[in-house]
Amino acid sequence: MRNIRTVTVIGVTGTMGANVAGIFASFGDARVFCVGRDLEKVRRTVPRIVRSVKADAIAANLVPADFSMLETCVAESDLVFESVREDLALKKEIAARVAGALRADAISGTGSSGLSITEIAECYPPEKRSRFFGIHMFNPPYTLPLCELTPTVYSDRALLSWLKTYLREKLFRTVVEVRDSPAFLANRIGFQFINQALRDAERYQDNGGIDYMDAVLGSFTGRTMPPLTTADFVGLDVHQAIVNNLYAHTADWARDSFALPAFARDLIDGGRLGRKSGGGLYQVVKYENGLRRQTVYDISTGAYRDVIPYHFPFAEQMQQAIAEGDYQLAFTRLTRNQSPEARLCLAYLLRYMLYALFAAREAGGDMAAADDVMAAGFSWCPPLALYQALSSAADVPALIRERLPEVCERMDVDRALAEIRPSRYDYRRYFKSGRRME
Amino acid sequence: MKKVYILGGAQTDFERNWKKEGKGMVALLKEAVADGLTGAGLSFEDVRALNREDRVACFVGNFIAEKYTEQGHLGAFLTEVDPAFYGVPSARYEAACASSSAAIDAARTSIRAGDRDVAIVVGWELMKTVDARTGGDFLGRAAYYEKEAKGIELPFPKLFGRLADETLRKYPALEEKRYMDALARIACINYANAKRNPLAQTRQWFMNFAQASARGTETNPLVGGRLAVSDCSQITDGAAVVVLASEDFVRRRGLTGRPVIKGFGHRNAPLRFDRKVAEQPDSPYLLPWTRQAVLDAYGRSGLTVADMDVFEAHDCFTSSEYAALSAFGLTPPGEEYRAVECGLIAPGGAKPVNSGGGLIGCGHPVGATGARMLLDLYKQVTGAAGGYQVPDAKNALMLNIGGTATTNYVFIVGRED
Repeated sequence: MRNIRTVTVIGVTGTMGANVAGIFASFGDARVFCVGRDLEKVRRTVPRIVRSVKADAIAANLVPADFSMLETCVAESDLVFESVREDLALKKEIAARVAGALRADAISGTGSSGLSITEIAECYPPEKRSRFFGIHMFNPPYTLPLCELTPTVYSDRALLSWLKTYLREKLFRTVVEVRDSPAFLANRIGFQFINQALRDAERYQDNGGIDYMDAVLGSFTGRTMPPLTTADFVGLDVHQAIVNNLYAHTADWARDSFALPAFARDLIDGGRLGRKSGGGLYQVVKYENGLRRQTVYDISTGAYRDVIPYHFPFAEQMQQAIAEGDYQLAFTRLTRNQSPEARLCLAYLLRYMLYALFAAREAGGDMAAADDVMAAGFSWCPPLALYQALSSAADVPALIRERLPEVCERMDVDRALAEIRPSRYDYRRYFKSGRRME
Repeated sequence: MKKVYILGGAQTDFERNWKKEGKGMVALLKEAVADGLTGAGLSFEDVRALNREDRVACFVGNFIAEKYTEQGHLGAFLTEVDPAFYGVPSARYEAACASSSAAIDAARTSIRAGDRDVAIVVGWELMKTVDARTGGDFLGRAAYYEKEAKGIELPFPKLFGRLADETLRKYPALEEKRYMDALARIACINYANAKRNPLAQTRQWFMNFAQASARGTETNPLVGGRLAVSDCSQITDGAAVVVLASEDFVRRRGLTGRPVIKGFGHRNAPLRFDRKVAEQPDSPYLLPWTRQAVLDAYGRSGLTVADMDVFEAHDCFTSSEYAALSAFGLTPPGEEYRAVECGLIAPGGAKPVNSGGGLIGCGHPVGATGARMLLDLYKQVTGAAGGYQVPDAKNALMLNIGGTATTNYVFIVGRED
């Protein structure tokens, strides 16, 4: 059995590059060449890498380097992981350089979140092409253990199987093998949900828009962060890259839901990308006396205003029930309530399950894969677990036919539902009351 | 004497932070009790039926909910979990971090006396309700608060740091580096074991020998004398439920393969750490009452250390697991490092300790820990421990301590002969 003793991470000053370097240096116990454009910036990144896995002991494993040393680092490495920005031309250029220096027995991979793995693989000569994979981790990998592993038609299957074991048993990743398909699996499912919410924010702008949708789809629906808060956290530019890719390269019933709404494009054009740029969908206003005020972009006026404290009876009843551990009661409230907000919320959850079932098949996985990616990559209640949760209170197939006729027309729902299996995840932890507990 | 069987139970996922989920003790107990009954093959309807004949009782272990959640009267609180508990006798037992062992002891006694057929032990603690400093101060009440903890930041790490100091003082032949390396290895073993336990608090955390030895760094600060964060169990939220039953009940139900409690020991050392230290020079053991509790359990079970296949040690700190190794009889006192260095206590070793991660790896919601340990013993001897199963374990021993090894509870669980 081979051993990964030395790793090169290219693009280490980026968030993912730094965090993945931390995973290799800690769990992987590998010496990691940390390659970036600017050696000084790489040196300044080292403490960040150490903090990402909370381990000073790994500092000794981190070797700062710049691109002039790339070939030297690669030649010494058992594994090379490229994590530069999502630009196919740039990734291909780097792949060509890596290919020239890579040892015949080494493995290489890209952290790309959606570019064609096959096209990048083709930058390698045939014997090295078989040793190249997509290795997509989630941010932050220390708390989100998902790793989407993408082989290509050229891949050495025995090596793929070895790599899977390495990622699982040495790096403690939740490994899901996916096809080289647009955005792979987790982001395809997750950003369908998020972008649909972004589109509905525009549609329901007179009800409040962004904060309205987040209030309808709050943490009581099986997630830590509401979807548009998540988009703001991820960055609207990253969000745009993912949904544009999906809009351009998918052709299924959910395709239209990947079209970015006009107001989001305007925000991006104006440099309002989200939390990292000091404001996007939301903006925190800080006062000199230390007070902070959370404001939200009002689509209808184009200005930021205070977040509205919505009071939806269905949501409050669910939160109350969840706070007391009465999950069945919470889902009964949700499925019986006929208010527009409750119906909207339930439609999102049902569509999420169906699209996960559908996308899992498209991306080459099974239903268990859809569960793994959503739990380990998003910390959302995974689809099979959600099915179990809702089934405690309602006939879910009947609900789907009643509430999502437009999806039922375009997808073989019966066939999808026949594949439903018990989840290996416990749904209860994902549903939060959103209440402050004293 | 009547036999006491273990039917099974459940623990919550110790990774969960219930405050962040916006849930309190009602939610925690509803999940734990429902899962615990299911794990024991019982239903709420069974509880009602048993209660009609006054054959069931509940024993709640919790240290200090009065501080963490502003709630007392915790035995009665089970009536908030399910109406099946209306009329069921239930009271709370407290012995600091050994609280649920006190509950187990009372439950075991009621079965052995023939008073009940089923005894439901519920151990729990919610600790993430307050910040670490405030929580650390609450825990100071497991020592003599007024004299040993009041006004001291994080008193317990400091007290167990003193246990480390006293270990080195008592055994002059023990080199400091050898001792500290053994403590670091204990931490590593427990973290590594937690990786195989799907309910362990630290199952996603990184730890290795270098990091456990990097004491005094930003990511592994010193917290009590020589001891650093890597030497400590971390506070968390959780509950564990374990159900005991009489031989009559097991026969009536036609249950087979359920293990029995074969032995117990319970000894209290002087409350104050100074007095413990002052008392022990006559003994070769630093914690003579801990050793005595183990001997009592061996004696009552008719078994010896040679018969034990698995141990659960109370590693609230690495220094307490270290002292437990000789108390178990795995090494002579003063030579505990040998059991660490030769791999005896590691997975695959002849005497694995804390195979599910222990307090350091699995987590230490203090009032739940004793019940969690008994449940793990049950899992081990019934082959139900999944990824952290010790092959063919027949007999297992747990040591659950309260305070600075003040209250010492030992239980031995094994397959029926």
